[in-house]
Amino acid sequence: MEDNKKKTKPKKVRVPRQPMPEQNPLRRAKNFEEVPYGYPADTAVVEANRCLQCKKPLCVAGCPVNIDIPAFIKFISDRDFTSAAAKLLEQTALPAVCGRVCPQESQCEEVCIVGKKAEPVAIGRLERFAADFVRENGGLPKPEIAEPTGKKIAVIGAGPAGITVAGDLARWGHKVIMYEALHLTGGVLVYGIPQFRLPKEIVKFEVDALTKLGVEIHTDYVIGKTETVDDLLNKLGFDAVFIGTGAGLPMFMNIPGENAIGVFSANEFLTRINLMKAYDFPNYATSPIRAKHVITVGGGNVAMDSARCALRMGSKSTVVYRRAREQMPARDEEIHHAEQEGVDFRLLTNPTKVVVDDNNRMLGLEVIKMELGEPDDSGRRRPVPVEGSEYFIEADVVVVSIGNSPNPLIPQTSPDLETTRWGTLVADEKTMLTSKPGVFAAGDVVSGAATVISAMGQAKIAAEHIHKHVMGQPLTTDSDGEESDADS
Amino acid sequence: MDMITLTIDGKQVQIEEGGTVLDAARRNGIEIPTLCAHEDLPDFGACRMCIVEIKGMRGYPTSCTTPAAEGMEVRTETEALISLRNQILEFTASGHPNSCLVCIHREDCERYRPRPSKTGQATRCAFCSNRPDCALREMVLDASSNELNLPTLYSEYKIERDDPFMDRDHNLCILCGRCWRICEKIHGTPAISINHRGRWAKIGSAFDQSYVDSGCTFCGACIDICPTGTLTDRFARWYGLPELSWRSTCTICPQGCDLTPSVDGGQVTGTRMTAYDRDARLCAVGRFAYAQVMSATNRLRHPMVRENDELIPTDWEDAIKHVAGALGDLKGDGFLAIIDEANTRENVFVYEAFATGVMNGRVARIASNCVLDDAIADDIRAGRVKSVLTTGDHLDDEILSKIEHLFVMDCLPSKATSEAEAVLPVAILSEVAGSFRDTAGEVKKLSAAVDPPGRARIEWEIIAELAAAMGSDALRYDSVDAVTKAITDDAPPAPLAGSPRDNLKDLPSRYRGHYLADSAAGLKAMGLPSSPKPPPKEITGGFRIIKKYEVVPNFHMLTVEAPAIARHAKPGQFIIVMVNEESERTPFTLLDWDAQAGTITMVVEELGRSSREVADLQEGGVIAHVTGPLGVPIELPEKGTVVLGGGCYGIGAIYPVARALKQSGHEVIIALEACSAHTLYMAHEFRELCDEVIIATKDGSEGTKGGVQELFTSVVERGTKVDLFIAVGCTFMMRMVAETTRTMGIPLQVALNPIMVDGTGMCGACRVSVGEDTKFACVDGPFFDGHAVDWDELGLRREAYSREEVEAMPQYAGGNGTAAALTVTAGCAAKL
Ligand SMILES: Cc1cc2nc3c(=O)[nH]c(=O)nc-3n(C[C@H](O)[C@H](O)[C@H](O)COP(=O)(O)OP(=O)(O)OC[C@H]3O[C@@H](n4cnc5c(N)ncnc54)[C@H](O)[C@@H]3O)c2cc1C
Ligand code: SF4
Ligand code: SF4
Ligand code: SF4
Ligand code: SF4
Ligand code: FES
Repeated sequence: MEDNKKKTKPKKVRVPRQPMPEQNPLRRAKNFEEVPYGYPADTAVVEANRCLQCKKPLCVAGCPVNIDIPAFIKFISDRDFTSAAAKLLEQTALPAVCGRVCPQESQCEEVCIVGKKAEPVAIGRLERFAADFVRENGGLPKPEIAEPTGKKIAVIGAGPAGITVAGDLARWGHKVIMYEALHLTGGVLVYGIPQFRLPKEIVKFEVDALTKLGVEIHTDYVIGKTETVDDLLNKLGFDAVFIGTGAGLPMFMNIPGENAIGVFSANEFLTRINLMKAYDFPNYATSPIRAKHVITVGGGNVAMDSARCALRMGSKSTVVYRRAREQMPARDEEIHHAEQEGVDFRLLTNPTKVVVDDNNRMLGLEVIKMELGEPDDSGRRRPVPVEGSEYFIEADVVVVSIGNSPNPLIPQTSPDLETTRWGTLVADEKTMLTSKPGVFAAGDVVSGAATVISAMGQAKIAAEHIHKHVMGQPLTTDSDGEESDADS
Repeated sequence: MDMITLTIDGKQVQIEEGGTVLDAARRNGIEIPTLCAHEDLPDFGACRMCIVEIKGMRGYPTSCTTPAAEGMEVRTETEALISLRNQILEFTASGHPNSCLVCIHREDCERYRPRPSKTGQATRCAFCSNRPDCALREMVLDASSNELNLPTLYSEYKIERDDPFMDRDHNLCILCGRCWRICEKIHGTPAISINHRGRWAKIGSAFDQSYVDSGCTFCGACIDICPTGTLTDRFARWYGLPELSWRSTCTICPQGCDLTPSVDGGQVTGTRMTAYDRDARLCAVGRFAYAQVMSATNRLRHPMVRENDELIPTDWEDAIKHVAGALGDLKGDGFLAIIDEANTRENVFVYEAFATGVMNGRVARIASNCVLDDAIADDIRAGRVKSVLTTGDHLDDEILSKIEHLFVMDCLPSKATSEAEAVLPVAILSEVAGSFRDTAGEVKKLSAAVDPPGRARIEWEIIAELAAAMGSDALRYDSVDAVTKAITDDAPPAPLAGSPRDNLKDLPSRYRGHYLADSAAGLKAMGLPSSPKPPPKEITGGFRIIKKYEVVPNFHMLTVEAPAIARHAKPGQFIIVMVNEESERTPFTLLDWDAQAGTITMVVEELGRSSREVADLQEGGVIAHVTGPLGVPIELPEKGTVVLGGGCYGIGAIYPVARALKQSGHEVIIALEACSAHTLYMAHEFRELCDEVIIATKDGSEGTKGGVQELFTSVVERGTKVDLFIAVGCTFMMRMVAETTRTMGIPLQVALNPIMVDGTGMCGACRVSVGEDTKFACVDGPFFDGHAVDWDELGLRREAYSREEVEAMPQYAGGNGTAAALTVTAGCAAKL
């Protein structure tokens, strides 16, 4: 950065990171409105001016999809918001989503050079600003679509991975048909992540954009049941199949009483509220979960979302997590919001038993205190129970949010798809090709429950290689070199 | 009055002259069974249950119509009487759904199914909302021995849902005449009477016209007095017997009628007249809308404060601080409180004291059902009013735009709440203690019986707290009685124009300015205005219904276009259906499919909201979403004899399994159960397909008396070697079959039906315990080893949402939500 114009720089650095206006936490805890309001244009420009426009920007390498961060930020500085959004779209199909849900603090912003002396540039907020701005102002002009190639590709799963692949392939002139098991598209973005974190209109806008590109979308279509992968390839004449079915199979704790009324997987709890709109019961028919006290078990984003939804449904909300605060995998901002809104955290605590009444309804949770022992495989210190420290927490609902694994419906009906012992699909990380010829996969179904941006990063690779595959080109690429560069 | 002395069952008793033998017996603690007699009704003598023997009189006179006479010797319990009464009961029961009354599984059934199912037609007690409190049922059960010697005559009337507020199922009517007699007693000219004669005799309005046009005022007396489940209150019926009821006063209009609210689970589920008397009658609003307004799901629950141009929920402490701060700055500067009089005296008094004493402002009282006075409106328009506190929905857009600072204390959302700086949710009606002065000037005591929803609070308490936060000592009351005592002079309210208890057109249309018909949809059918509602989400695409009909009462057969599902369906699989975009995802078993035609067929039993949505569909219409085929197809043995048992929807569900077994050369015995011959379906199709069809009915009207478990036992007992049992039907039946066959050494497969959400293995709602394992029924099942299933857990988990299921039941009149909106009355300030 030394060779940048020295006169203006120090001044810029002294401009503090621009806060986003937010709802008062106690007030927002009872509604489903999105929490931060987003930057107004002027604030966005001030924040964009904080960027040093590094020649060797570390942030780009920190981004799993290598967005040209300085470039899009420069456009914001110049108040050319449309070009900023266009720049983003070169690398991410869902900037409005990523700007909201990416763990920037451990990606681009963690390595931002401004961050060495002051707070890093708010890259996520700027990304969100640019994407929201163009969406609210009529969207980008329709992208160019290549001449039809005559190739037909099936995309299974309408989550971030599927959306990314479908968008790229459609732009490159292929006929894309997308199959989604649920009645709505968006995957975790609609059934899992709540409205207050990611308004559903944004997801709808992105999916509508796919339709405009000519992607045909079939909802209510469970691959493995309504149709098999083999049938897609052999009977329905697809040239390639992409699997982006995510990790939707909830794990439970295997403790006594776990099938009591009142014990929910986070998937069920969130699906009822978000996908089925139980908060608007009985206008929507799905029963809401009404509870005095909801305990959420887990420390990830899903757990934070559950705990915060519980507050909004009018319950008292507690998170029980077996490790310490620093070890929680959730985004910092989410933990911070949950604390601010009044979620009670019981850290280093693990459930041992669900206590029930005669009618199998939950009365509460027996938990045990934990302490940190030796580091485990993941390098985090392993929590070990403190003997005799069990105690009881009264609660009528517990939301189990300790992870998801991929749904086995597709591998069960396609035995030649190789899976790992965690149930994820085996795919070549350079090409995302699975063990089955012509079948590619990306996202949580390959990596296990991860992040939106990593699903999209993999999906970009998959799209590129699906294109090569259907066009009869060899799958090894020169982009391999670039990727490993970025990692170093 | 002169007293008469007579002997009943050897006991000397006395009664005033003019009393009947029945009166004499009852007054003296001697029970004579009756059905048609009622203490509030004139004698009738229709049911003949109350027959007695009287020395010196021929035959068996009805005690309800026989005047007591001096020296009479009456016997009530002779063998002849008991036998005659049983015959009468048997006769009555033969024309009434009776299978539960004679069913040999009744006790187990009630143990495992403590609540009746929310079906359309009540084809038996287990499907009848009257079960928790049925006089007829009790009498038959006391008298009979599980035997019924007369054939069952089921009339197959369709349930009538086209009138507001009431569901009528004439199949249950025993023609006791209580309904039209009470109507006559209360209203002089009855709105209903008996139509037709003989077998097709049926109560109804003249010419079977809509009750709305028949002169019925919807007082509900007939519903409350009907001993059977024929006449029911649509809103209250499935809540079950209320836990408590007490006397209170309706404060919706100034008439202030007495009423008896009933409470179940902390919710007012209904209101009734305090007596079966002309003077005690209620209007449709008091009888039906009161509970529905209180239970409205859009009641305001949290205080809200505006921030960044958005109303954001908050807690009371923050809200009071915020509002007190804002009002403090507005003191003495054109403050106006708009107070709706449909409120307790205490609340009105404290509001007024606050507005004048603390805020140095003015008060505009709005008589219930009225709109804002023109003079006041002009003041607002002219900017003479700076800030407004309103307690209802009385302000239109134009007026709202002229108000600088608006605060709302109300129970329901409105234009005003969406414009306000702060919205404070309040308790209403039976949530509030205090008093009410009716138009006659009488002060009536109100007691609170339930808690308000969410964080809503009592108005005078909120105001008192605000005043205190603003530094005023003027409104420090420690109890509602203290407020009552402080009220010195309050005039009775202006009477409502017209007489709502006599004329539907005079019904109040608003409560605190909100259209009552918005909360109690039935009022729309009476011409009452309501707010426009957004139309249901449009269905794009969808799955077309090729064919639909009701095979037997409550069972709907649907054939739907779904080519992909039809191509891949296998026996034992199911689909998930969402009728509309707002529906639940509901699983139904595939009964049949035709890959060539691209269609699938299912049978749907009407049991609650979601299946009712299916039942209400029409041929040619569309279903928003159908997903499948889901679940693992049933695994069948190589060869051998398989006995398949089906009950309710399970009869349809075993059909494809039977066909597959037959095609692969198995010996297939079909065991079908139904409550009665007239609810049995598909027996013919099975006879064509299979080697043997055996049938059981609960009332013995066809085949063996009993159910699938008896049929399975009989097959084994006659020496047939069975390799596999399969049973599909309600959880109760499958459980009973599992228990019966447990020791037979023959495997049993059952198709489990837990609550599901996605049906694709994503949520775990469908967890069932099978042996040591937890399984997801949607992806691991639906078929499991019946002997390893934890039936207790499954039964209880299925009940997890029983209350929500009742709340979700539709309240509109008419089968398809097509409540006829009649002409809207509009006009005067007093009557809108
Ligand atoms: C509550 C919650 C909060 C989260 N918060 C964050 C966050 O803040 N930041 C972040 O980066 N990540 C977050 N994640 C993780 C992130 O959402 C996922 O990593 C991401 O959605 C993965 O995308 P995907 O496309 O691989 O899978 P999904 O989004 O799971 O999409 C898969 C789609 O495939 C469909 N499908 C599955 N099986 C079939 C089949 N057989 N046939 C047809 N369709 C099928 C599914 O219905 C689904 O729609 C969160 C996850 C959850 C559950
Ligand atoms: S965001 Fe940070 S690292 Fe990236 S270019 Fe700007 S200053 Fe440099
Ligand atoms: S009215 Fe209902 S509960 Fe009573 S006997 Fe008839 S079916 Fe049974
Ligand atoms: S509807 Fe009820 S009250 Fe009227 S005759 Fe029939 S059973 Fe009797
Ligand atoms: S509701 Fe009242 S007025 Fe109407 S039919 Fe029944 S008893 Fe008569
Ligand atoms: S219904 Fe959701 S997992 Fe079975």
